[in-house]
Amino acid sequence: MTMEKTKTTYTIPVGPIHPALKEPVRLDLSVDGEEIVDLDITVGQVHRGIEWLGMNRNNPIQNIYLAERVCGICCVCHPFAFVMAVEHAAGIIPPERAEYIRVIIAEMERIHSHLLWAGVAAHEIGFDTVFYLAWRVREEIMDLMEYVAGNRNTKAMFQIGGVRRDITEEQLPRIRKSLDYYKSIFNQLKTVFLDDTTIKMRTKNVGILKTEDALKLLTCGPTGRASGVAKDVRQDQPYAAYADLDIKAITPDIITGTVVGDVYDRIIVRLLEVKQSIEIIEHCLDEMPSGDILTEPKIAKLLNTLTKAEGEGVGRHEAPRGEVIHYVRLEPGRETLSTWKIRAPTYVNLMAIPTILKGGQIADVPIAFASIDPCISCTNRAVIVDKRTNKKSILSGKELHELSIEKTRKLKC
Amino acid sequence: MEILSPEEIIDGFKKALGNSFIDSKIYEQEVAVKKNVFRTIWVYVKREAFRKAVEHICKLQEYPHLAIISSSDLGDSVELIYHFTIYYGHHLEEISLGLRVNLPKNDLKIPTITDIIPGALFTERETQEMMGVEVVGIPDSRRLFLPDGFPEGVYPWRTDETGPQDILRVLPGRKQK
Amino acid sequence: MSFKSFKRALWVYHLNTGSCNGCDIEILAVLTPRYDAERFGIMLVGSPRHADVLLVTGPVGRQMVPRLKRIYEQVPDPKMVIAIGGCGLEGGVFHESYNLAGPIDQHIPVDVYVPGCPPRPEAIIEAVVKAWVKLEKVEQGVS
Repeated sequence: MTMEKTKTTYTIPVGPIHPALKEPVRLDLSVDGEEIVDLDITVGQVHRGIEWLGMNRNNPIQNIYLAERVCGICCVCHPFAFVMAVEHAAGIIPPERAEYIRVIIAEMERIHSHLLWAGVAAHEIGFDTVFYLAWRVREEIMDLMEYVAGNRNTKAMFQIGGVRRDITEEQLPRIRKSLDYYKSIFNQLKTVFLDDTTIKMRTKNVGILKTEDALKLLTCGPTGRASGVAKDVRQDQPYAAYADLDIKAITPDIITGTVVGDVYDRIIVRLLEVKQSIEIIEHCLDEMPSGDILTEPKIAKLLNTLTKAEGEGVGRHEAPRGEVIHYVRLEPGRETLSTWKIRAPTYVNLMAIPTILKGGQIADVPIAFASIDPCISCTNRAVIVDKRTNKKSILSGKELHELSIEKTRKLKC
Repeated sequence: MEILSPEEIIDGFKKALGNSFIDSKIYEQEVAVKKNVFRTIWVYVKREAFRKAVEHICKLQEYPHLAIISSSDLGDSVELIYHFTIYYGHHLEEISLGLRVNLPKNDLKIPTITDIIPGALFTERETQEMMGVEVVGIPDSRRLFLPDGFPEGVYPWRTDETGPQDILRVLPGRKQK
Repeated sequence: MSFKSFKRALWVYHLNTGSCNGCDIEILAVLTPRYDAERFGIMLVGSPRHADVLLVTGPVGRQMVPRLKRIYEQVPDPKMVIAIGGCGLEGGVFHESYNLAGPIDQHIPVDVYVPGCPPRPEAIIEAVVKAWVKLEKVEQGVS
């Protein structure tokens, strides 16, 4: 790390430059030696004006496909919440078979997203082998999604009033084979992630978020549950087929007995949720009711109903990262939506970042930041101010990543 | 903390707010095969009693969950809805509560609630920059999502003359709707 | 025109100008053991100064234009630019938004376009191979 100039602003990409990251986010860190004293976040480099497009250019059915592209990784949760909000507003009730198929697709997406995160977290620590292992294991669920829905990403399964494609009897054996594969390797994954000494040394007592802070800052999803806040929309206010299941929010004291709120707890919560998802899919396949999959198959008639409808609705869904909420308002006589508000879970979880990173070391920034599973690329620019010497310095993303790997190497010997 | 029914919650609001309580609505829907009920309450209050209403919600639930603040442009007024949920953590017991406040366009101000709920900071900043509502007492009033070079006085969610109509990027050969 | 072998390995740098990450995930899937482009020598680098090929995804937001141009200038010659995904071509689904500053080829010259939302990993591999062939032709002085 060379300090070429003093008292000038340099930018440091905090975060892995590996392309698994979503949006660029900027962090401003103030350090005292190696310890982080203060922190500031700037977001907004990926603002595309989706809500404006939904209110002024598209009709509600086109908005489903726009909602899918809010985030390419969790591309089932936004259409799910949106469709529920429109149905709530217009008074449409989807058939029961459609509710079960929606839950099956949502749980498949949860498995894929958690395995993706597991690989990225391992890469942050420096374990590239585990990164490739986790992504290789993930390919099985991508194949399954392509078999059921037609595409690996952006599946376009949702429609207002139901789903667009059915899961037939012939597809069931293939789905059960994939689920058996995951059940057979689950214990191996657990050993690799939870019993490894180096992972324990790098993640225990790092990036702690206490329960009270998590409640005040409204943290949701696995990040909040790892800190002891047992909020889970599937448990509290169930919707679709979750209302027939008895789902409990997973907190880390199932395995360790206490709640600390560090990165290790977040790994535990996500791994156990993968197991829970497999069980939910199996239950839904066994109990799936028969019947139609759409209340109104003809699109022109559906659009007509929506143009005449009046009302407002809220749709909430438990995405892999937290709670997703969509608010929709319909006015009679108007083809576009009158109001559309989206909130993704990372919007809220980012506010917990200053509390998580303060008091920690610079080398822990990549893993602590990635542990909240930000659904947009982990930072792109960061400015570090050294309080002791009052010098600002730049570290390239590669150097920061190397600092993190160096710490692992030092811990090993 | 005891769990009240929706009707009892609305009665509690009427007692606490008196004349400033304008209207309320309960929405219920049966879900899936077992027909469990999904409940939402909408409460409409005046701006003067807004902070009192938020404090009343904090009495119903110790750390209420605020999901988002949504805003709608209704012509000559702006309506803000604060989406709370209470009684989380209990199976099938959670109730969504939408707190509605109406602001006239010539006086778009609302007090902040970041001292009661620190997690409301981002959503108040977004409402400020996107709708042009001034949040009085907010600790950090910088822009959140819009870039620094974005013109002042242009509010993307408004449908009147302060909307972003002039800075759209329309494809060549396509008429703007 | 046929090539018997490639003279050296190809290093790529990935830049996200504001995409939804669907294309970024498919780029990363190209490097994992399923599609495994690394066995051909295609490697992802952490700095644009080491790269030969620039992979750009996303509709270009207003804040990202200066960064896009700066990174393009940092990549040493000879270089190729691949625009991946429908957003880079003409805005994709976001084409009328108030925060977009135009498709990628209005700011930097693009050599290979890959349509799709998101394009499959096989399409991305084919695009990189096309860029590689083009690069070798440029280096050999063949037009």
